[in-house]
Amino acid sequence: MEFGFTEEQEKLRKDVRDFFMNEMPEDFEPGVETMFSLTKEQTEFWMTFQKKTGEKGYLTPGWSEETGGLGLGPIEQGIVEEEWGRTGGRWPNFSGLHIAGPAVQVFGTEEQKKKFLPGIAKGEAVWNQAFTEPEAGSDEANQQLRAVEDGDNYVLNGQKTFITTYVKPDYLYTLARTADTEPKHRGISLFLVPGDAPGVSYRALGSMGFGTQVDIFYDNVKVPKENLLGELNRGFYHAMSAFEFERSGTGGPASAKRSLEEFVEFCKETMRNGKPLMEDPEVRRSVAQMAIDIEVQRLIAWHAVWWFSEREKLGPKPYDLSGFFTKIFSTQHPETMMNIMGLYGQLRTGSKWAKFAGKVERRWQIARSVHPAGTLEVNKIVLAGRGLGLPRVPAKFNKQIAKALGEKK
Amino acid sequence: MDFSLNEEQAKLQKEAREFLEKECPESFVREMEDGDKGFSPELWNKMAEMGWLGLVYPEKYNGKGGSFADLSVVYEEMGRAMLPSPHLSTVVLCGLTILEAGTKEQKADLLSKIVAGDLILSLALTEPESSFDGKAWEAEGVNVRATPDGDDYIIDGTKLFVHDAHIADYLLCVTKTRDSANPEDDITLFLVDASDPGVSCEILETTAGDKQSEVNFNKIRVAKENIVGELHKGWPPLEKVMQKGAVLLCSEMVGAGQRVLEITVDYAKTRIQFDMPIGINQYIQDHCAFLLSEVDAARWLTGQAVWKISEGQPCDMEAAMAKAWTSDSHERACWRGHQVLAGVGYTVDKGVLPLYSRRAKTKQLYLGDSAYHLEKAARQIEKWPGPEKFRGKAVGLWDIPKEEQIPYWEPWKKRWEEKEGKK
Ligand SMILES: Cc1cc2nc3c(=O)[nH]c(=O)nc-3n(C[C@H](O)[C@H](O)[C@H](O)COP(=O)(O)OP(=O)(O)OC[C@H]3O[C@@H](n4cnc5c(N)ncnc54)[C@H](O)[C@@H]3O)c2cc1C
Repeated sequence: MEFGFTEEQEKLRKDVRDFFMNEMPEDFEPGVETMFSLTKEQTEFWMTFQKKTGEKGYLTPGWSEETGGLGLGPIEQGIVEEEWGRTGGRWPNFSGLHIAGPAVQVFGTEEQKKKFLPGIAKGEAVWNQAFTEPEAGSDEANQQLRAVEDGDNYVLNGQKTFITTYVKPDYLYTLARTADTEPKHRGISLFLVPGDAPGVSYRALGSMGFGTQVDIFYDNVKVPKENLLGELNRGFYHAMSAFEFERSGTGGPASAKRSLEEFVEFCKETMRNGKPLMEDPEVRRSVAQMAIDIEVQRLIAWHAVWWFSEREKLGPKPYDLSGFFTKIFSTQHPETMMNIMGLYGQLRTGSKWAKFAGKVERRWQIARSVHPAGTLEVNKIVLAGRGLGLPRVPAKFNKQIAKALGEKK
Repeated sequence: MDFSLNEEQAKLQKEAREFLEKECPESFVREMEDGDKGFSPELWNKMAEMGWLGLVYPEKYNGKGGSFADLSVVYEEMGRAMLPSPHLSTVVLCGLTILEAGTKEQKADLLSKIVAGDLILSLALTEPESSFDGKAWEAEGVNVRATPDGDDYIIDGTKLFVHDAHIADYLLCVTKTRDSANPEDDITLFLVDASDPGVSCEILETTAGDKQSEVNFNKIRVAKENIVGELHKGWPPLEKVMQKGAVLLCSEMVGAGQRVLEITVDYAKTRIQFDMPIGINQYIQDHCAFLLSEVDAARWLTGQAVWKISEGQPCDMEAAMAKAWTSDSHERACWRGHQVLAGVGYTVDKGVLPLYSRRAKTKQLYLGDSAYHLEKAARQIEKWPGPEKFRGKAVGLWDIPKEEQIPYWEPWKKRWEEKEGKK
């Protein structure tokens, strides 16, 4: 086993860090503001920031040079993401970089790659992942939004919900039903829909701390056939396997580590009963436990990256614990920190008494949203089924239940 | 970065697994637990033939000159098979301390004997009071004195929870030889002949049925040639070696945890209740998923500490993290196993899980429990520099008063409302 990085990799890390440190506004507090509370100017700042990063190739270091990347490997990608996470920079195009872009890389036609990828790599375009619907949350195969063939187009009708978006998206990476099949997931396709296509409209959903979720409505939206991604009716499979690509997950633990470092500073500086908090045995243990949890997350993330870098030899990874641990620890840690902070813990950004600008309070609220990319429960089911080969409820039972519900109506 | 074993280690792992499957089946583990000795001299000799007793010793002592990572591979397999043996006591805790601090003569004399399987050693460190005060693994917890008397020293006092003392040829006795401001500067290590009439040893009844003893040193006389290392300077080398021992315990727990996972998942797939395999139930899946996560996290934390030690890099933080996490996570993993295996997991005659579960407890406590290692980690965390501050120019965007801030997508909202209004 070998947990270290090569000299070139360390050099890349330093370059990336220097770049971020110099570009970041001096008075920026990572983790305080959310996209939701940004002013127009701030939003524009982050878009410019994203473009500058794109120019350096740091948005998509793992992509080939033709598609706007640096042609480096997954490990290098993981390093860059770790530095992003550490500095807390904002990426309005998160979904494009991590979800839609990689999917186009794998399932797109040559024309699609040429048309869509450079915009993502250069940091110009903003994409959203529009999968979830009111009746298709965890049960992603239950897509109701319809796409019906009409000459050279597909016409889309239906609703998406809880879609994260920071700025007006240029494209929506959308799942839609194209056939009524049994099982349900065999009749779903992927579409790349321009965000300003006539008939697309948005409605804001306020949310706890995190950012912006919106409802998206499709009202007779015409999408040209060349915007179908991959095979017709195979969209569900494409989307699921695209989740495996290029999501290194190294950014999360890096940003958690930074927050913990800030918290440790607080514990060193703050006195309780005449002694710094950091000398309280209870606090020491909590802080150490959090550091270990973050280390677990970091190692699990790097294991996934390493596995991906060896995928030709190792094949697809049977299970990934990244989401599982992140969901658990990102809930526990702010809770622990708030408890240590006592009454101060509840103070929000904006209060003059708030410690590190109310970051802990904000994280506590954010921790109520651990649902993106599958709930904790669904994560465990996937681990048990795909990871450990435990049996699943036979489909015939689902049918029986559906039938019983139908009869009731 | 490479999370896989190298070719030689993979070979070593395969060999070790095959060897232990043959030599150390469940029945053997049970037999050793019930017997007085708790280990088999024949098997010890076979381990010597396999080269396991000199795996990390230099070739000049007939060792194999292997890396710490190689040793960890073997420990994982020993944990998987629950091998009862005085390996940790003899080869690691005592042997490596001698290698680290011993005189030329001590090394030449003792190490090749260890490698040949001719010598069993036991570390006598922990004491009744300090073990209760949470100072068992600290210099502060050492109160047994060695008092100079002419050219000799007189050792008097009681050591408790001493592993493998009942079969040891020598005890490496940790003593206090002066009272300075820092207890770590007061410790001297003595090699004590276990057959000295003043040494008595009584086996303790423990959870795991492993062989730990109360050892009494009744005013015994030890020559100063038997000091390992230097007078008053015994603590630093011992502490370093205990860190390695703690990490190897983690390796054992990773191997054992992997086996517990396999047993549990296998049972979940094959045990039928309500006409279905119990593994179809989400509660059972929950237990299995958690078990998997506990084992995996322990594996990489341990792997990292092992790697750092192997590379000779400082690893105080990594070793502390590995032992703090693994101690408790292995315990939790076994608990999950019990939930899935129910009756079979509880009855000793039918199931193997109780054997793992009880050993998990010993390993959790041995060489420092999680509280102890969390404190070690906290000491490292105190040394962290604060997070770096950004060096860029202030862009002034962040001073805009709150009331002037508008979400960028306000216009869309308006559009939506207009549309709704029209309908
Ligand atoms: C902050 C945030 C951002 C999001 N961003 C996006 C986005 O950008 N794009 C997007 O497409 N979606 C997004 N989502 C939606 C997210 O993917 C869904 O919320 C999630 O998949 C869960 O769906 P649901 O909320 O409908 O819950 P449900 O599916 O209704 O689940 C409710 C509860 O039932 C449990 N449950 C459901 N099925 C099972 C089962 N078979 N076994 C056991 N338990 C089960 C769930 O675990 C959960 O506890 C976001 C959500 C949040 C909170």
